[in-house]
Amino acid sequence: MEYDLKAMDREIKLIEESVGRLRELGGGIEVVERNADSILAFTYLLKRNISDILE
Amino acid sequence: MDGEKYWNPIIETLPRERLQQIELKRFRELLRWAKDQSPFYKKKLRGIEPEDIRTMEDVAKVPMTEKDELRAAQEGKEPYLYGDLLAVPPERLSVFHQTSGTTGRPVYFPDTYESWQWVVEVWCYILYGAGFRPQDRLFLPFAYNVYIAFWQGHYAAEKLGCEVVPGGALDTQGRIQKAKEVRATALMNTPTYGLHLAEVAKEMGIDPRRDLEVKKMICAGEPMPEPTRLRMEELWGADVYDHIGGTEVGGWGGMCSEKRGMHVIEPHYLLEMVDLETMSKPVPPGTKGVTVITPLCRRCIPLIRFNLKDVMLVMEKPCPCGRTSIRVDEIGGRVDDLRKIRGVFFTPAIVEEVIRSQFPEVMEFETLLTREGAMPVLTLRVEFAPSVAESQVKELRGRIREKLKIRSNLTFEIEIVKPGGLPRYTLKSSRFKDLTKK
Repeated sequence: MEYDLKAMDREIKLIEESVGRLRELGGGIEVVERNADSILAFTYLLKRNISDILE
Repeated sequence: MDGEKYWNPIIETLPRERLQQIELKRFRELLRWAKDQSPFYKKKLRGIEPEDIRTMEDVAKVPMTEKDELRAAQEGKEPYLYGDLLAVPPERLSVFHQTSGTTGRPVYFPDTYESWQWVVEVWCYILYGAGFRPQDRLFLPFAYNVYIAFWQGHYAAEKLGCEVVPGGALDTQGRIQKAKEVRATALMNTPTYGLHLAEVAKEMGIDPRRDLEVKKMICAGEPMPEPTRLRMEELWGADVYDHIGGTEVGGWGGMCSEKRGMHVIEPHYLLEMVDLETMSKPVPPGTKGVTVITPLCRRCIPLIRFNLKDVMLVMEKPCPCGRTSIRVDEIGGRVDDLRKIRGVFFTPAIVEEVIRSQFPEVMEFETLLTREGAMPVLTLRVEFAPSVAESQVKELRGRIREKLKIRSNLTFEIEIVKPGGLPRYTLKSSRFKDLTKK
């Protein structure tokens, strides 16, 4: 099966950007900060597993 | 469909050249990170420029990291416990583990939430490759304590969608009862404890093959020679898989359904093999060497070219499973356990190989190295199964001695120990004792 790595990479970046915007809206409250950190830990893995494969 | 066969079909079937390109790129990134963030590597990598690392030959110019250096970088240094190794602010840490301390003072290894998730992720590759699926109910017959392997297995199985049953606060009989009660389909344990569990189950009148529903087992914590793995499969009537890993580096390789060696989790790890004599010159696949490994994405405590001091043989030929990663074909024991006895290289792994492949009557054993005057003496202490009759012992003793002589070129004294007389191990076994050093 062929995978559209570029499109997948775009979606991963969008998640990161979205988390950044959520953080701004949260104004530093713990519930947003900690959960945002957790989401970013998983986008880190997606980047290592998907985005890094792009030439 | 590839998506069902592999945890990550994109990476696991990449051409080797591409895997190596990604590993080199990540190696440079890790060097940069370590030089900037880790006080230990700031000093150690002085004069090394990440941008200059373009080939595997360049990688070999970067100094290796030894375990003793890790101890020295932690002992008496701030921040407390982790000292110069830490490459993130301490408030970002979320998990603590430590080495077993078998070879000296333990080394402490924390992780941030991010680096822990990476450690768990590479274990997903291992478990998925060994056929673990959401339908599995995994029982872990251990109190995991501060040791990493079982925590990794626990969280990776959970991430895969398996149902995880921790079996810590129980004795061995209680664990067998629990595995039966929950109808566990999978187990994770040390090879030694897997053998012990089967032994105790039989004493309880439970035949693991007939009365339990365990269909697969993943082993951790100590090396498992192929004869031991096959014996476990026979005892349990299950597919038994091995993996390789350690506290310092995480789980870095695992068996696929072909069970022909262990796939290195590339490009999350960079594996190098160096020769036994100089411990610096690279050796090609197919030649035994000492293993040097770099976990490429764990940034909390970065490790660069960590010398595992394990003797291994790797192969590059393609695996029928379709994964393109390099495989570890054979584990030849610890460099620290290698001894030259009467001019012959001896590794305790040989004893396990002979005993487990040819003597199912042996329940437990240990090898002692002592000295009589100037002469080194090897003694194998063996404990036979209760079913072995007194009249069989003499013949068995002679045959064990003969087979060990053929395999190792060394003569062993054989000492018979009464049933239950030798220690049983739940975590790292210690079946070789060099008493010449005392």
